[in-house]
Amino acid sequence: MSATGRRKIVVAGSGPVALEVARQLRDRGEALCLVDYDGERLEKARLAGFEVQQVNLQDDDELLSLGLGTEVDVLFSLLDNDADNVFLVISARALAPEISIVSISETEETVKRLQAAGATKVIDPYQISGYRIYEMVHRPVIAEIMDRTVFGTDVDLEIAEIPVPAGSFLDGEYLDRLSLSSRYNLVVLGVVDRDYGDHLIFATNPKRHRIDVDDVIVVIGQREELERLRKEMAGTA
Amino acid sequence: MRLSDLVIRSAYWLEESQRYRKVKRAAYDLLENPHSRIRPYFDFFMMTLVLSSVFILLYDVRHQLGHWAVKFENLVVLIFIVEYLARLWVYDDIHRHIIEVYEESELINEPFRVSRAFREILRNKWAYVSSPMAVIDFLAIFPSYRPLRILRLFLLFRLFKLFRYAQNIQEFGSVLREKQAEFFTLLTFLLFILIVGSSAIYLFESSNYGGQIHGFFEGVYWALVTLSTVGYGDITPQTFEGRLVTMVLILSGIGVISFFTSIVVSAFQEKLGEVRDRQVLSQLQKKKGYTVICGHGRVGQVVAGYLHQDRQPFVIIDENREVVMAARREGYLAVHGKAQRLGMLRKLGVGYNARRILCLTGDDVVNVYITLTARQLDEKIEIISRANHHRTMKKLMLAGASHAVEPFKVVGLIAGEYIGQPVAFEAVQGILMGQEEIALEAVRVPEGSWLDGRRVEEAPLEELRLILFGVITPLERESDHVRHHYDLRTHRFQFNPGADFVLLGEDMLLVFGHRYSILRLRHRLKT
Repeated sequence: MSATGRRKIVVAGSGPVALEVARQLRDRGEALCLVDYDGERLEKARLAGFEVQQVNLQDDDELLSLGLGTEVDVLFSLLDNDADNVFLVISARALAPEISIVSISETEETVKRLQAAGATKVIDPYQISGYRIYEMVHRPVIAEIMDRTVFGTDVDLEIAEIPVPAGSFLDGEYLDRLSLSSRYNLVVLGVVDRDYGDHLIFATNPKRHRIDVDDVIVVIGQREELERLRKEMAGTA
Repeated sequence: MRLSDLVIRSAYWLEESQRYRKVKRAAYDLLENPHSRIRPYFDFFMMTLVLSSVFILLYDVRHQLGHWAVKFENLVVLIFIVEYLARLWVYDDIHRHIIEVYEESELINEPFRVSRAFREILRNKWAYVSSPMAVIDFLAIFPSYRPLRILRLFLLFRLFKLFRYAQNIQEFGSVLREKQAEFFTLLTFLLFILIVGSSAIYLFESSNYGGQIHGFFEGVYWALVTLSTVGYGDITPQTFEGRLVTMVLILSGIGVISFFTSIVVSAFQEKLGEVRDRQVLSQLQKKKGYTVICGHGRVGQVVAGYLHQDRQPFVIIDENREVVMAARREGYLAVHGKAQRLGMLRKLGVGYNARRILCLTGDDVVNVYITLTARQLDEKIEIISRANHHRTMKKLMLAGASHAVEPFKVVGLIAGEYIGQPVAFEAVQGILMGQEEIALEAVRVPEGSWLDGRRVEEAPLEELRLILFGVITPLERESDHVRHHYDLRTHRFQFNPGADFVLLGEDMLLVFGHRYSILRLRHRLKT
């Protein structure tokens, strides 16, 4: 997936989860900085090729000096323990009301606590892993397909959000009449219309939706096909 | 042909005979195999036999029974004899011993001697014959020859045979066996007191001195009655010295009884968990195709929760007793123990009835170890394992895991996708987690249904407001109307097939849509 502009991302923590997230982000071409209190583990991260900074995460001044509230766009709070994460999320939210904050939780109760503290998204790794394992047991073929296509590591199919430029051939079309599946080998899942909020309007929705400028269509397909669609839409705009 | 040749030849013949092995296997399943389905019925049958034969024996004391009772008794004894011989036969393989001895003598170039082989066989069979259970079996048959009255007592040994058939009683025995050392101490103490007490009372209360004790045996009898605090009072001490001895005996009797009680109570208290575990295991033996979940941490809890919702059978094993208790409170089958132990996995039915095993502990070493052990026990079992570090993935696959899931990797992927396309990713995630009204489901095209042999465009997808993601077909299917397909283990996934793609029976349509639409499509395909 292509990076949309150079954002500044701060990843707090240097445990296995934080390193994994940092690796994924780096593969996607994002600029990021790992911060933690533990110098030894930071050193390991630095050797793995990441930009690191040793910071006392409980000190607001040091957080400010990282650029929180000014330059930083996204903060990942991936510390080892739930209480530390909650504390960091609260401090960060107080300093920077606008940024996205993503955190992880170890227990179900912490999910709500982190959300209350101001996290934009909370990932519960155990819940998700547990569900995946259940899927493997419950409907192995679908689990395997999703693993092979969308959610795996070296996958072929991607889910993409493609903004509709003004005047492109999709502008003004009805969502259920796009027929991208024959023209582009893409499957259209739905559309996000900022006028109606941030959620996805599924293509199966009985209320017909007319696509206009600034809508974002969500499609699944191969990278080349996605690129072709992007290009041709820009061409007709 | 010489005798030794004949023996060796028949031993090899038995070794090769499929039929002989089958018969022996069936006998083993019936008599000994704790996992076989037929054994409980056999055990129950034998228990009824034992109880009815003892009942007849007791009824016989005051009543005259007809000749059918004698016939029944003979039948019972016959069955016991057959059972005894069958167990002796199943215990080990005679022909194997012969072959072993023969091959050994071949190896060192010595002539094969039948006598050596027979010695070996006798040694092994004797090991069985002298085992406690076999002795009880024997005593249950033996006294049918009953010119001797005391031998009738041994007939009651048949009741001991119940031990063999009832697992609860065996449990009772095994719990007490753990306390052997304590019981031995108690017994020594008891014997000591008994000897001292009975000698003393015999000395002071002998009938020669005006007491009521007429012999040493009566002394022992009196001492035991007093010591056990039963105190019938049929013999009472008359002399001052005798009464002193009595008082001492009563005091030590209290000690003995309380010591005995405390041993039994503590034995059961310590073993309570194990007894419950065994109950769980015996419940498990009645099930088939269940899932074994190793580790009831967060991931294990989530999986167990979903499986429970689906009413799928499963059993949890965890090293932590509190975790096991918590799982039991949820109403799950749970056992305390280490899953990496071969014996434990076997007890859980891996290699017999378990269909899959999930290794979900937080420790990668343990997960790899369980995977390896389970694969060793069962080549076909499905193993899904959790890898907490990326490096473990490869090891798990080498160890024989069918799938592996990395929780931390999942976080990385989600975080990455979230940065790229938050809405889309969240939506798909929601669909997959079953949190949305929209679901992703596979709908089977039944063989011979109206859609069988039709093209994709003829399926009522648009009408039912379903989005076709792809079609799942058998591996060998080719088509001009698919631009991309992905080969899975057992199926081929045809992504976004064209309108002209021909559907055949047993294909599956993978569709996104409202649950209601999917139900509707399933319904339409049925009629």
